[in-house]
Amino acid sequence: MKALTGNRLDDGEAIFLAHSGEWVSRFADAELFESDDAALAAEAHAKTQITLVVDPYLIDVIPSEGAWAPLSFRERVRALGPTNKPEHGKKTEGGEAIEALLHAHGAARSKGRIELIRRK
Amino acid sequence: MYRYDTIDREMLADRVAEFREQCQRRLAGELTEDQFKRIRLMNGLYLQLHAYMLRISIPYGALTSRQLRKLAFIAGTYDKGYGHFTTRTNLQLHWIKLKDAPDILEHLAEVGMHAIQTSGNDIRNITADPHAGANADEVDDPRVWAEVIRQWATFHPEFSFLPRKFKIAVTASAQDRAATKVYDIGLRLHRNDDGELGFEVLVGGGLGRTPYLGPTIRKHLPAKSLLSYLQAILRVYNRYGRRDNIWKARIKVLVAGLGAEGFASEVETEWSKTDQAKIDLPDTELARIRSAFAPRDFESLPATSQAFEAAKKDPAFARFARHNVKPHKVPGYAIIDVSLKKPGETPGDCSVHQMEVVADLAERYSMDEARVSYEQNLILPHVKLDDVPAIWKALDAAELATPNRGLVTDIIACPGLDYCALANARAIPIAQKIAMKFTDPALAERIGELPIRISGCINACGHHHVGAIGILGVDKKGEEFYQVTLGGSPEADATLGQVLGPALPADKVADAVDQMVEVYLRERKDGERFLDTFRRTGLQPFKEAVYADAH
Repeated sequence: MKALTGNRLDDGEAIFLAHSGEWVSRFADAELFESDDAALAAEAHAKTQITLVVDPYLIDVIPSEGAWAPLSFRERVRALGPTNKPEHGKKTEGGEAIEALLHAHGAARSKGRIELIRRK
Repeated sequence: MYRYDTIDREMLADRVAEFREQCQRRLAGELTEDQFKRIRLMNGLYLQLHAYMLRISIPYGALTSRQLRKLAFIAGTYDKGYGHFTTRTNLQLHWIKLKDAPDILEHLAEVGMHAIQTSGNDIRNITADPHAGANADEVDDPRVWAEVIRQWATFHPEFSFLPRKFKIAVTASAQDRAATKVYDIGLRLHRNDDGELGFEVLVGGGLGRTPYLGPTIRKHLPAKSLLSYLQAILRVYNRYGRRDNIWKARIKVLVAGLGAEGFASEVETEWSKTDQAKIDLPDTELARIRSAFAPRDFESLPATSQAFEAAKKDPAFARFARHNVKPHKVPGYAIIDVSLKKPGETPGDCSVHQMEVVADLAERYSMDEARVSYEQNLILPHVKLDDVPAIWKALDAAELATPNRGLVTDIIACPGLDYCALANARAIPIAQKIAMKFTDPALAERIGELPIRISGCINACGHHHVGAIGILGVDKKGEEFYQVTLGGSPEADATLGQVLGPALPADKVADAVDQMVEVYLRERKDGERFLDTFRRTGLQPFKEAVYADAH
């Protein structure tokens, strides 16, 4: 299962592609792709949306507490906000979806970081 | 302090206007991200995990109170009410919006500041001893020369696309507070046997994936020849530095490959072909820059202060005086370290209120100057001993008076995976957990000097290679692990740390530091710092303590 993420152009916020086709701030509202082909097609389209999203890429997601969470820790930090400042970032919204992210235990290297380094 | 002249101001205004238009074109889709990325980075604007990050240049770490207030205003207006001082004496704002960036740069320009050359493969912000102009044993004011280099390097067309980024540090004291051995170029001002001012030139130091201590390629470069010699170094690097492999592109790899003598020979050959008189600064221009750093109008005061001594009856003040008050070159004055390392807080973070407090104190008590040190603290460089008790009270009220300068809780930590797009692992929470083990100031004082330095990736922004205890975050199949090194030092006796053993999981790191401190307290002999004990005993006792459970 995958989700599509990137950073919003005008403010840099971590955003996710929703089923509606809009880019949203909450990971819980992200569209989840079962099919790799559909995910890759969405990623290819996102790369044309240059006034909306910067450097879109696919992330793996895993089940967590009845919801879904990014597999990579880096991606969970993006979806939650910095761990050193409880008062900053998306985690301040609280609720079950945030708890599911906070308690997820998956681990994998982030494709976002690998691609960033490759492009440098 | 150097003040921008009309040319400087016009140049900055043009640059801001240019970037404003470029941002508008990007937001309108007229520029792609690939086209725009290089432009925004040239203006210090990075894209990180949660937002854009603006890295603001603070040349040689020097700030007027007006500049510091402006940084506070920007952090309060455009960010979340704080900024992060870095090991390059810059300020990073981690929650910036692209659409606000031109306005922020315009605000910075009003106070003679910018974010130019805080990214890219160019000559970055020039750093210097943060005690410059206040320190008794310096042979000259290193800020003069750092400013000379800054003006020469800013927008230098030949050195705007180097193989990789390039960092220069200047010091003029025996005690190296600028980490010159781990810089691309380290410049140590001194006088030779004939009393002539010159630089010992170190080239090819650096941390990162392949750490090196910079070797000396010239023991005494006449001060007047600085710029032509720097040009020769940069030309050799520009010609031979590798551009095909990012991990081998820094000058340290070139110097290591050619050997210090081989590299020096290339530089001397290039220098001999240079029309030095055309490149080196005319005396009149040097005098103009030097006048900006003219000695301050210090009062004649007794060497000791009754008010200062009387205040030491308060044990908390006495502890602050022992650790955060340093001797000044003028009797009756002192240098104050303002700690940004309260245990539990993020190292280097400073709130808007705290910036304003330091700006007010600088204006009232420190001849309108504050400094940033590469250890991520602030400094009030010129305060009267008589005023130290009042300053301490004001700092204490703003949670800026932690008496821990150089102690176990004075930890350097990069932003790490909490913010940085390149990081492998978090650095800040590790620093927080370690510091919370040593919140008792009496314990921290008993342990004594113990620099801990933490980086969230191999790029080593947290200087882990030169920490007495260095901690490097690594990615093991997506999980945070931490490799510990011991015995590093960035100072005159510079050494690189040695790896303790297998990397530790995140929840074991603070305990491991605690265990290593216990070993040190058990093993140390009279007057030994942690580093001294380690150099005597080697890794073994520390290794045994940390990995005892594994055996």
